[in-house]
Amino acid sequence: MVDFFQNTIDGVMIGSSYGLLALGFTVIFGVMRRLNLSYGPSIMIGGYLGTVLYLNHGAGPLVVAGAVVLGAAIAGVYVERLCFAPMKAGAGIASMVSSFAIWMQLEQAAILVLPRHTYPFPPLATGATLEFGPFFVRIDHLIMLVCALGLAAAVQVTLYRTRFGLALRAIIGHPVAAHLVGINVRRAMLLAFAAASAIGGVAGFLVLAVDQQVTPMFGMWATLKGLIAMMIGGLGSVPGAVVGGLLLGVIETHSQWYFGPQFRDLIAYVVLFAFLVARPGGLFGRAPSPDITTPQKA
Amino acid sequence: MDDYLIGVLSNIGVISFIALSAYLLLLTGEISFGQQAFFAIGAYAAGIATALWGWPLALALVWGAAIGGAAAVLVGIPTLRLHGLYFAIATLAFAEMVRILFELFRYQITIDGELVGPDGADGFRNIRYIFDNNIDAFQFLLLIYALLAVVLLGFVLLERSRLGVIFRMIGEDETLAGLQGVSIAHHKVLAAGISGALAGIGGGLYAHLTTYVEPRIFDVMLGVHSLAYGLIGGLGTALGPLLGVLIDIGVLESIRALSGYRMIIFGGLVALLLIVRPRGLLDENVVHKIGRFWRRISPWARRPGLNTGNRNNLTGGRP
Amino acid sequence: MRSIICTAAAIAMLALCGLEGAHAQVRAKAGVTCKPGTEKLQYDCIIKLANSKTNEPLSGLTLTVGADMPSMPAAHNVRPVGAAEDQEKGTYKARIVLEMYGDWALRLDLSGPVRDRVVKRLRFERDRVGETTPARAPGRHRH
Repeated sequence: MVDFFQNTIDGVMIGSSYGLLALGFTVIFGVMRRLNLSYGPSIMIGGYLGTVLYLNHGAGPLVVAGAVVLGAAIAGVYVERLCFAPMKAGAGIASMVSSFAIWMQLEQAAILVLPRHTYPFPPLATGATLEFGPFFVRIDHLIMLVCALGLAAAVQVTLYRTRFGLALRAIIGHPVAAHLVGINVRRAMLLAFAAASAIGGVAGFLVLAVDQQVTPMFGMWATLKGLIAMMIGGLGSVPGAVVGGLLLGVIETHSQWYFGPQFRDLIAYVVLFAFLVARPGGLFGRAPSPDITTPQKA
Repeated sequence: MDDYLIGVLSNIGVISFIALSAYLLLLTGEISFGQQAFFAIGAYAAGIATALWGWPLALALVWGAAIGGAAAVLVGIPTLRLHGLYFAIATLAFAEMVRILFELFRYQITIDGELVGPDGADGFRNIRYIFDNNIDAFQFLLLIYALLAVVLLGFVLLERSRLGVIFRMIGEDETLAGLQGVSIAHHKVLAAGISGALAGIGGGLYAHLTTYVEPRIFDVMLGVHSLAYGLIGGLGTALGPLLGVLIDIGVLESIRALSGYRMIIFGGLVALLLIVRPRGLLDENVVHKIGRFWRRISPWARRPGLNTGNRNNLTGGRP
Repeated sequence: MRSIICTAAAIAMLALCGLEGAHAQVRAKAGVTCKPGTEKLQYDCIIKLANSKTNEPLSGLTLTVGADMPSMPAAHNVRPVGAAEDQEKGTYKARIVLEMYGDWALRLDLSGPVRDRVVKRLRFERDRVGETTPARAPGRHRH
């Protein structure tokens, strides 16, 4: 029983990083209605920038964190300018494939700068733990959870309590009408994209600091985990992204504990598939049909 | 031809099969991130058939295609009502499940004092059919392209047939197609099955070409690549995905001098291309224009009748 | 139309059946050690070939060494290089140039008296060549 609760705690902690990744994804998908496959690799670029500063200039965790977030946001803006801004309505697949091409580009750029398979990444709180009776919680995990909940709240407040959020929701609801009432759609999209990538950067920094290593595979990992958590939680829902992430984390730790490491991902995918087939809207979604192959209908 | 060229051409041919399988689904309006699963299933099925059961290659390839197609139908049925991103992620989830299952899959028997067969994450070595039967690389290349030619011919016939029109109609507007009395479910499962079989043949050829497969060959990268080929080359004709493969593998070879930077250059080029031509180089409009030009200059081309006129309305002119 | 596709299919099947040939040959096994060469992405490999049943060294073969990257199937076509046999029987030396660091499957193609292919997986890094242990995926930490 202790194991069960400890696993659940670990799952929630690890899941908070998935939730953070899904949060950024949700903002991008919500605003663009398009899939940015380069989301993870953008974060990886931030991670590599932070690693370079750490290795060559001995930067501390705060500077590294800033560099990761900034790097991710810049890479995100680059992706938006190249793959999303110039695409016409109805070219959703082209945007997606284009973002995949940029993924290849970013990955090779990272390998050129740091060619080894893995590099060390500065730890946060060096894996210290807190004890609650029989249970342990890592401090860096706790920071991750707090960040996830805090950022989710911030995104929710921004969307529903600010003018910028109002503009974004107008764009989500009807981009053409939003343009007609004087909202600068292109600028809002760029801002949303940069903000989403920066949120991803926060997630990336925390995950890398917990792992204490960075690899070029991080990009694919981040895209996949963010995508799964977002789909389980429900497309376009901010609470859904966080809850989906936490649920994914709990499922993964339990399956790893009871069935072994290979079943960890297997069961996560089985759950995802089952969710999509039985309840495509996820936990919080309203099961709309955001068809990325056709332009948004009025 | 030297070995190197034969190797590159063989690779282009084999990858074309999975590109065509993703393209067929794109025609019906579905994005699949999971064609690599059927490629993997075909590769393992055909490899097991020749290496473990001693089947002839022809039978093994047919078997791989059949298993690939059957698996695709099995996935196609529960995912019928999913569209767009939902369908894409469902196929992705399935493909990753398949990949992980192959990491757990062990089936080895002793042949001539040696263990042969899939060994989990360590892969499936010694699919030695072409060595045991003295088939050289060039003969195998011819085999690949003979099969590819048959598949392309099939696509040409498909585009001219009622079935092809229905596929594109579903891709254009499913509801409208349904109103025309087309059985959507039936045709979507059919398209999924054919595309699974295509990927299965490709997988079988790949396994025998390299003599060695391992689960991580079949990860998301392969699936997204095969999807991208159709979009780079163009969605107007089955030659589009082939052109995409040729550009990716062929052109990359020719800019070998820049080997450290090639993905940077190539990725940028693809992104720029898609801005200018969001439905690829050979998109519907280009194909339509070429077709019209051909009909004008060719004395023995079919005159546009009721049938072809209809098709042009359906397939051309997407904005 | 249908007749055309049937004919084509028949031809393809015939081509397939024509590929049947002789059976049972000597099989090879190989030991490969590589170390980084003087230039970037260049590696010097020593390959020991032996009969997989009798362990006799396989001498006098033509050996070419190619490489594939399993994570990107068919995308990296490294031009195969010939390997020269050393004084020691069954020992061959080859210098390969890869396209990037990472896990590669070296493809050893044997021709001459023995025709076979042996595949070896190795991880090539800037300063060393080692086993292809899977990298720990992110987020797998327990305390």
